[in-house]
Amino acid sequence: MNKVVSIDAAPGSNSLAAFDVERVRRDFPILKQKVYGKSLVFLDSGASAQKPQVVIDAVRECYETYYSNVHRGAHFLSQRCTDAYEAVRADIAGFINAPSENNVVITSSVTESINLVAQTWGRKFLKAGDEVIVSEMEHHANIVPWQLLETEIGITIKVAPIDENGEFLLDSFKQLLSPKTKLVAITEVSNVLGTIVPVKEVIRLAHAAGALVLIDGAQGIVHHGVDVQDLDCDFYGFTGHKLYGPSGVGVLYGKAEVLSAMPPYQGGGDMIEKVSFSGTTFKEPPHRFEAGTPPIAQVIGLGAAIRYVSGLGMDNIAAHEQGLLAYANSRIEDLGGVRIVGQAHDKAAIISFLLDGAHPFDVAAVLDRQGVATRVGHHCAEPLMDRLGVVGTVRASFGLYNTSDDVDRLIAALGKAKDLLL
Amino acid sequence: MSIPSAQYEDYADALEMIDDEDMRFEYIIDIGKKVKDQDFPEDWRTDDHLMHGCMSRVWIIDEVKDGKHYFRGFSDAIIVKGLVAMMTGSFSGLTGDELQKIGTDHVRRLNLGALTTQRQVGMMAMLETFKKLGSAGGGTVAGLRSANA
Repeated sequence: MNKVVSIDAAPGSNSLAAFDVERVRRDFPILKQKVYGKSLVFLDSGASAQKPQVVIDAVRECYETYYSNVHRGAHFLSQRCTDAYEAVRADIAGFINAPSENNVVITSSVTESINLVAQTWGRKFLKAGDEVIVSEMEHHANIVPWQLLETEIGITIKVAPIDENGEFLLDSFKQLLSPKTKLVAITEVSNVLGTIVPVKEVIRLAHAAGALVLIDGAQGIVHHGVDVQDLDCDFYGFTGHKLYGPSGVGVLYGKAEVLSAMPPYQGGGDMIEKVSFSGTTFKEPPHRFEAGTPPIAQVIGLGAAIRYVSGLGMDNIAAHEQGLLAYANSRIEDLGGVRIVGQAHDKAAIISFLLDGAHPFDVAAVLDRQGVATRVGHHCAEPLMDRLGVVGTVRASFGLYNTSDDVDRLIAALGKAKDLLL
Repeated sequence: MSIPSAQYEDYADALEMIDDEDMRFEYIIDIGKKVKDQDFPEDWRTDDHLMHGCMSRVWIIDEVKDGKHYFRGFSDAIIVKGLVAMMTGSFSGLTGDELQKIGTDHVRRLNLGALTTQRQVGMMAMLETFKKLGSAGGGTVAGLRSANA
């Protein structure tokens, strides 16, 4: 079941020589295709990453050979599928260095992970006047769940600012902390700007103020290794489909004592100990938060994705992507007429930009015709667009399979956009 | 249904003659670039005239003369501006009843594979807006009817 990753990256090695991107690309069948007669340049991994063959095979193998419902069957397939499913929970725990697989709640997405915290921990522990701090860079998924509590409970949302370059302002954040602060819910990496938030310091400061911290790791975990114990975060959420795994599966890590104090999220099968009309009792975490049949094959696929990126080495992936980011920045600067939105010192390989004098939708459409897939719009971060005074941006987000040739193609396509649109 | 307009035939013929998708795409951009800001004054670009649900902003107005609808439109993006110009040019000069007979096939002749599905959906939404304005009776320049009427 566990496919061997088709690359000889030495685990933990920092050597870029071990990261042969051309070999990596061969693991992604979708990248071989042409669009509009041109070879595909996929720069939209920030929205959803492509899947390596090992992930596709793992999902197919599950359905072809051992698929069954988990946790409840008294037959061979169910046992085998449950074993495979629970083994992934352990793989996830290992991947983020959680103390135990019991810290790992399977969800459908990071959006659900955050909503789970808001609707269980939030409803139990927050009261009117309590404050939740988010940043100006949050995805809507880390704003709206707190706004729902603002309406229902009367909590107050405080917004930690950024500067014009998209740099997180740690001192301003510090000033927002008070005895009223009960939670800091913050992204690890901005999905628009690529800004890497100094979350370890944020967590230390928040804890000193008596607040818990939830990290939205949707864009963080794909670009660098994550150690939840080292971070000391109380919650960490991420999603499978941005990590080269299937869509429909997400993860919520929580500290044991925090999860134990939280009431169930949804009611249903699989999360109960005993049900009767005189009273129902619930399982311990993580199963308490997993009502109903989980996304079984998606979890199996996520396990394969985690083994795949672990085999490549997160440090190698990070180094490769940082090389691409630096190269892309310098090529864009040389091209001229392109404004990079978000110039924080510490960035993941995400570049939002505007072509002077052109509407971002036009630019993205021309890039698309050149075979270059980007994302355009407000990127589910409208408050950030307002803060930056733009209606939207074009975003090129790089993944482990991108190359310097992809950057060259982006630059050539931007040149074409200038010719056509200006 | 008779031909919507001579302008429609010109657009459709031109697109059919261009046998390269990239060239068709550039043809639409060229149409968009010919639309000047003064063709659709700033004070018409109000929320009342805004088509909702579009990725870029699209304003449509409807002027009625002798029972016929004359649409004008604008967008902040060039490609959409081109599509709006094609749509308003193609389907202007028709009565409310005639507008109701315009079908999706008429619109399909104007996109010919050069557009993403999203933009094709946008063009269909524009047709629906024209029909809605047509069935509502239309307005005059002094009291322009809005896309949300």
